[in-house]
Amino acid sequence: MSTTNLGSYKEAQSGYIKILVGLLVLTTVTFVQPHMFLTDMNLGIQLFIGVVKAYLILAYYMHLKGETQIIWFAGFSLFIVAVFFIIVIGFDVANFQYMDESHITQHMDAPHASHATH
Amino acid sequence: MSSHAYVAEIATDRDGNEHVVQGWQDDMYGAKLGFWLFMFTEVLMFGAMFMTLTYYMMLHEADFVHASASLNRYLGGFNTVVLLISALTMGLGLLKMRHGDIKGAKTMIWATIVLAFLFLGVKGVEWSLEYSHGVFLGLDALQPGNEHSKPFGQILFFGMYFTMTGIHGVHILGGIGIMLWLLKRINSGKVTPEHHILHFNIALYWDLVHLIWVFVFPFYYMMGAGTEMDTATLSSTIEAISHLGGSNEHH
Amino acid sequence: MSKSYLDLDQTHCAIGHPKTAFWQWMLTVDHKRIGLMYAAVIFTFFFVAVATAFAMRLELFAPGAQFMDGDTFNQAFTLHGVIMIFLFIIPGVPAVFGNIVMPLMIGAKDVSFPRLNWFTFWLYITGALVALSSLWSGEGFADTGWTFYAPYSLTTNTNVITTLVAAFILGMASILTGLNFLVTIHRLRAPGMDFFKMPLFVWGIYATAWIQLLATPVIGITLVLAILEKYFGIGIFDPSKGGDPVLFEHLFWIYSHPAVYLMILPAFGIMSEIIPTFSRREVFGYRTIALSSASIAGIGYLVWGHHLYTSGMADTAKVIFSFLTFFVAIPTGIKFYDWVFTMYKGKIILTTPMLWALGTIITFTIGGLTGVTIAMVGVDIHLQDTYYTVAHFHYAMLGGVVFLLFAGLHYWFPLMFGRMYNEGHAKFAFYLNFIGFNVLWFPMFIAGYYGMPRRYFDYLPEFEIYHQISFVGAVIFITGLITMFYVLIRAIKNGEKVGPNHWNATTLEWHLPTSPPPLENHTKVPYVDFMPYEYHHGQPVVKFDYETMKRID
Repeated sequence: MSTTNLGSYKEAQSGYIKILVGLLVLTTVTFVQPHMFLTDMNLGIQLFIGVVKAYLILAYYMHLKGETQIIWFAGFSLFIVAVFFIIVIGFDVANFQYMDESHITQHMDAPHASHATH
Repeated sequence: MSSHAYVAEIATDRDGNEHVVQGWQDDMYGAKLGFWLFMFTEVLMFGAMFMTLTYYMMLHEADFVHASASLNRYLGGFNTVVLLISALTMGLGLLKMRHGDIKGAKTMIWATIVLAFLFLGVKGVEWSLEYSHGVFLGLDALQPGNEHSKPFGQILFFGMYFTMTGIHGVHILGGIGIMLWLLKRINSGKVTPEHHILHFNIALYWDLVHLIWVFVFPFYYMMGAGTEMDTATLSSTIEAISHLGGSNEHH
Repeated sequence: MSKSYLDLDQTHCAIGHPKTAFWQWMLTVDHKRIGLMYAAVIFTFFFVAVATAFAMRLELFAPGAQFMDGDTFNQAFTLHGVIMIFLFIIPGVPAVFGNIVMPLMIGAKDVSFPRLNWFTFWLYITGALVALSSLWSGEGFADTGWTFYAPYSLTTNTNVITTLVAAFILGMASILTGLNFLVTIHRLRAPGMDFFKMPLFVWGIYATAWIQLLATPVIGITLVLAILEKYFGIGIFDPSKGGDPVLFEHLFWIYSHPAVYLMILPAFGIMSEIIPTFSRREVFGYRTIALSSASIAGIGYLVWGHHLYTSGMADTAKVIFSFLTFFVAIPTGIKFYDWVFTMYKGKIILTTPMLWALGTIITFTIGGLTGVTIAMVGVDIHLQDTYYTVAHFHYAMLGGVVFLLFAGLHYWFPLMFGRMYNEGHAKFAFYLNFIGFNVLWFPMFIAGYYGMPRRYFDYLPEFEIYHQISFVGAVIFITGLITMFYVLIRAIKNGEKVGPNHWNATTLEWHLPTSPPPLENHTKVPYVDFMPYEYHHGQPVVKFDYETMKRID
């Protein structure tokens, strides 16, 4: 945040533009990937690309490089979100016991009439 | 109490060493830290929505892929690029501000605002297209028990799609609002190259809005890409937009 | 006579420079004044909720309908729950004492964002007014219980949306309070005060602030989703569209379980202040108390599923949640042993705050241990949604958080007003409260064990005796509450004047130049090179010259 340690404007600007190019390339990859490679793990690859993009944005656009304390806090926040996912998705939904009898997991071909008068 | 008159106090320990006391006034790092903490609450909010989405994806995977394939990927992709460029203009604006180029900074903020409106316009076109296909909150397709009803998984997918892109859109609108406010503060000399924390934090906010989109995009638009249900093509997109008629010509 | 923060013109304002005392209070950014205003509003709501509870007790005095029908009863317990949870106990300790005392304890002039603090207070008031507005409009107050469980909350015609909006606004206020305190504690500690030299109350507030910040958004978005669900029928929680009400319960308790630690942690902080002060002894195991606050906050995030044992969650998840829940008892137990060891061989002085603290050790132990019993899946299947659970959380919340809030009120009263209440009368009020409390809630354990379900306005004749004992307890308890507040309120005007350090305590909030404190707190910010509770032979070790804030011991 200090105004004394800015470096040259040109240098910083070219840094910003490099990151933009990187992000554009990654966006292109997201469009090419589903038709070209690893198509059976589509969402995983897409989210991975998202993580890489997020890293670039956080580190350079949001000036997080070198901000040790804020990085720790951000890590803690993301860890908590991860915990929610692990517990709710990994422990509960992944072990959903009532797939066959449950009303909410009714499949496409099942009749609609059964829940019309809820 | 005004901040320019503030002089930090000095505390002296028992060995006579002097220590500068951090006051709440003029605390740039404190303001930045506070804003990051606020952004974590946004992360948690969207995190909870992504969890909801994943929850139902686990229960209705095929429906989700099917519904995702029917979204307009090219408009979504276009918006991704719009946000990308707006993040650049925002960043360059801050850079100019820090280097004392106030006029350049204002130009860049205006550019960001224009891009934000472009984003919302494209979003509007997208929602209208979906509406014209009968897919919108409250329409028959997303209600149970009628002949147009979509299966549960798709109702949930589209319900979350409109909710999350809607809430994201509200954040874009909020961003436009605070950017206009920032311009006002710059004009009245409250934000200067020496005191630009407000500009800094608003730039952070804009990056956060971008960051959320980085995950919204693959989760909604790309999940069904490349599958046999995938119907979205560039030419059909152009055709669909031209069919919308004059009411939606945002750009 | 030197000026205190209560005097005219002794405040900074958020907007302009008003001349009248009224506007100076409405627009104040001073943390002490804001804390006092919170106290006034919060305790007013407390009495509204107590009155609602007493109306329910009256209704339950005998089987069958007395003067209230079932629907009104449903609205009554919802009103009681919403006020107690969202308006009273969640803001409770942080908003009142976090504001008044925390900045003083770390030697700060104010919180990091004083204007935000002012804004937060009025946001809280707005939320409160929105909540109350639904009492007199439309179909009346929500009748869902404070948990708003789907799908009933989506179908009922009462003003659920208003209540959800109110809870959302109150949640935002809570987030902003936490945010403000986190930055304050990180940035504004006096030079030399590292994290392990902070008073333990500040540790409690710090852990709480993280929960406020990182759990509240989850319920915020859950409430937004529920509102959108009611307006637009998205389907997320609506089983007729494939939505899963269990997901609502997950999201709801992801916040609302950590929220009970959000309530209790700062209260434990108050305990950690009172026990060493009135034992005249350094606190036993300072680091373990500090770190147990942090670990309760951390583990608190992992245990919400114990509210869902009977909701249709997967068996695997039930076992894991049960396992994790037991772990919370460990840091809590550590704290209790530390407090008891602090008193061991101490010079115990039985002042009113100390009595409240000691009473809490008994009541919270009962509340905590019964909590361990219902953490077990098998036992909980039997006791879920019975009076046993009701008694458990009232012992933990009222007998823990609120008792300690009262303890803090008595402890910091001379600090806030520069006057003392009549200790004899205050002690009498404590005994009334303590006896009334136990008579009121203990029978519910037994009634619940035999199957008395909660939230029913009618019951089988065999439960009559428990309800009637409870009623007697309620009368004693409310008498005690009224006595207590009467003693305190009277002392604000007429109490005996006392100096800045009435209790001979050690932490920085007692080393102020005037009593009550002046506008910008300490004359000079001290350099902190001492631990918070240093006593030697029953006397505080660290002494200050209050003009220069230099150590003179």
